[in-house]
Amino acid sequence: MRTKWSMKITPLTKRLAVLSMSALMVAFLAACGGSTNPPTAEEAGKYEVTPGDPFSAYKDEITVTMGRVTTANPKLPAGDTYENNAYTRLVKDTFNAQITDQFEANGEDYSRQVSLAIASGELPDMMRVDSKDELKELVDNDLIEDLTAIYDQYATDNIKQMYDSYDGRALDNATIDGRLMGLPATSLDSAPTMVWVRQDWLDLLGIQLDADGDGAISLGEVEKTAQEFLKRDPGQTGNPVGIPFVNTLNTTDYNASAYTMLGVASTEGAFPQYWMNGEDGKIVYGSTTEETKQMLGIMADWYKNGIIDPQFGTRTFDDITALYANGQSGIAFGPWHIPDWGLISVKQMDKDAKFSAYTLEDEDGNVNVAHANPSNQFIVVRKGYEHPELAVKILNLFYDKLANDKDVATTMPEAAKYQETGVDGSTRPFNIEVNSATSLLDDYSDVVRGIKGEIGLDEVRTTESKNNIGSIKTYLSDMDTDDVTAWSKYHSRINGVGLIDKLTQENKFVWMTPAYSGTTPSMKQTWANLTKLEQESFIKIVTGSEPLDYFDTFVSNWKKQGGDQVIQEIEDEIAAKQ
Amino acid sequence: MKQGKLKARGRLGTGAMYHMMMLPGILFLLVFSYIPMVGVITAFQDYIPAKGMFGSEFVGLKHFIYMFKLPDIGQVVSNTLIIAIGKILLGTMMAIIFSVLLNEIRIKYVKKSVQTIVYLPHFLSWVVLASVVVNMFSLDGIVNQMLAFFGLENINFLGSNTWFQPLIIGTDVWKEFGYSSIVYLAAITSIDPGLYEAAGMDGASWWRKVWHITLPGMLPIILLMGVMSLTNILSAGFDQVYNLYNPVVYESGDILDTYVYRIGLVGRQYSFGTAVGLFKSVIGIVLLLSANQLAKKYTDRKIF
Repeated sequence: MRTKWSMKITPLTKRLAVLSMSALMVAFLAACGGSTNPPTAEEAGKYEVTPGDPFSAYKDEITVTMGRVTTANPKLPAGDTYENNAYTRLVKDTFNAQITDQFEANGEDYSRQVSLAIASGELPDMMRVDSKDELKELVDNDLIEDLTAIYDQYATDNIKQMYDSYDGRALDNATIDGRLMGLPATSLDSAPTMVWVRQDWLDLLGIQLDADGDGAISLGEVEKTAQEFLKRDPGQTGNPVGIPFVNTLNTTDYNASAYTMLGVASTEGAFPQYWMNGEDGKIVYGSTTEETKQMLGIMADWYKNGIIDPQFGTRTFDDITALYANGQSGIAFGPWHIPDWGLISVKQMDKDAKFSAYTLEDEDGNVNVAHANPSNQFIVVRKGYEHPELAVKILNLFYDKLANDKDVATTMPEAAKYQETGVDGSTRPFNIEVNSATSLLDDYSDVVRGIKGEIGLDEVRTTESKNNIGSIKTYLSDMDTDDVTAWSKYHSRINGVGLIDKLTQENKFVWMTPAYSGTTPSMKQTWANLTKLEQESFIKIVTGSEPLDYFDTFVSNWKKQGGDQVIQEIEDEIAAKQ
Repeated sequence: MKQGKLKARGRLGTGAMYHMMMLPGILFLLVFSYIPMVGVITAFQDYIPAKGMFGSEFVGLKHFIYMFKLPDIGQVVSNTLIIAIGKILLGTMMAIIFSVLLNEIRIKYVKKSVQTIVYLPHFLSWVVLASVVVNMFSLDGIVNQMLAFFGLENINFLGSNTWFQPLIIGTDVWKEFGYSSIVYLAAITSIDPGLYEAAGMDGASWWRKVWHITLPGMLPIILLMGVMSLTNILSAGFDQVYNLYNPVVYESGDILDTYVYRIGLVGRQYSFGTAVGLFKSVIGIVLLLSANQLAKKYTDRKIF
């Protein structure tokens, strides 16, 4: 019995051993094979029908594997998938290139997939990475292609213009040691952060805000309004709350400035968390300036007088949204699109809710605002992929041709259908946005002219704008509508972007251009700690557990604990660039 | 022939079978506990995933030195110790008192109901309980409403560095004392009832019986549980603190685990995170071994 058994098992184990050994060998050989030199752009040209053309197809079908960022509910027509849909078929038809997905994921899962791909060294041919850190890590490990020459050769003039509309910031951000290592997404200026005030409450209490009607109000006016709201409780909850702020306090992204004190900062000319050029030409960290100290002084006064939510610091983002929805608070700091996802819950609870958008002006009547930091999304191409130029060609196809072709319905009918029916843009091969710096206001102009009937729907540039025109018309015909989408689109586009448009035309903005936005070597180790120090110190000052002069202690601690070194590194980096 | 076969089964058959049954456990330990220990190497490297564990640069004690140089580390360690020791002491005391009192309840129905009710919070995670605690202790929560009723000033428990540690310790004791009293109840039942009868004959009061019989009878278990909990002295409870804290109370609430989470993982400093984890494990094992020795000395019981 036993012998029989062991006789059976021996060949099996042997076979298993041989199998696993050969598997190892194959893996090893494959790993070696991967390290051949990539062809130059000219060499790659011999595969193409018309080498060097921004839209040229390949003679023989090629394949490309991708890491794809997906969305929870992309509204794809039945049968279509991320891997096989109108957009990927468009790539196949145009370039003779077949897309397969090495992985699909969203949110944190996606970052984990990217980390895994980096850790295992098995990158897809193209993928999106979501931070400059990751881009740097990929370059340091020599895992991705240099796209400098290919971009120059293949990108269409439109694409180049779009990137250039950011004064070099977009491409600079993807450039490491003078080489373009990825195709960056753009992050347009969506400044400024606004103050959204319950208009129905103002009417109820007979308060007139912004008497001169220029759309900009002073901190004093905000303060007075908040006091009135607290005293007279227009929401009739019996428990009114001052202006709530998130405990992160600041952000370098006006687009994500909801519930931050960035608006208050702007009135003092403070730019916390931005790297700025100081008066002496040296790099200054915005959170350590005298202006920021003044802002904290104002915040501390407000906290003491109850203008700010007494539970400041302990509330989560959702808690704050709930305060508005409950009618406990009626003044919200945030970006132009906050009605679409935050204030919309107020309308859901209270049919009568209406908001007006204002921005904050300083003593001289200026609205101070910083240019957005460059976006942190990049499309990268695996080192050794034979057709790196395909990445630029896909960019051309979607962000130039598809976006600007007036005749999409006939040239790319399937893709046009997708846009009409509102299929999520994430189903495009690259889930990034590439727009010109002015697209926010360009779209606004389309929407306004569309509503007035000055242009036909076919002249409106984007599908999104077309849909917004429909929603806003619905709202204008019935301001008490139950259609919350119509309500939110009216508020975000007409009240929100409308204000930006007005202030831009009146030239009210005073712009600050950040001096630097990357990460330096020592930041990798010290930055988390410095951020904690900053957040803690600011909260202590605002809540009054430390006096305002504690700010000076914070600044010296910040410098000692690594801040000075980071500044030195930034200056060296900038000096090396020149 | 027949005897030989039996013998074979006796030596290899049954024995082998029993040993075979250990195999999954051993494999499990090997694969999930011992092999991953190799990863400890990363604590001594500047770990870069693409280069892997054997390709990354070796930097010796750099991350440990950085850890001890961090300006907040003293505060974080002291927060960790205060919270952990507070939880161990108060939790154990509550569990002992509760089990002694519960033992006195003679009506079985009441006893069982009380037991079930106090066990319950143990089975809920901090993610759930945190929202309960936040609701109760926020400025407009029920606790502050009660304070207001008695004419006392409102306290922002979740945003006060004075109150945060007591809150953490208190809520943890509330969550766990019922469940941990099970062991002590079991210890009480194993005490010889004859002792109580004898003491009764001698005219001992209830209090005397508890003091001279119940508590000494429970002592070995109390010490044993104490030794076991010492290994957790640097784990003050990530789930709980993470779900309840906010930047206002970093000063009093930040414990090693939450600190490492923010600095090490959110900041993608894998090596640093590993270094702190290793440091915690070393302290844990030292405490466990010494406590085990102490337990042997005083109670003549060892865990291993």
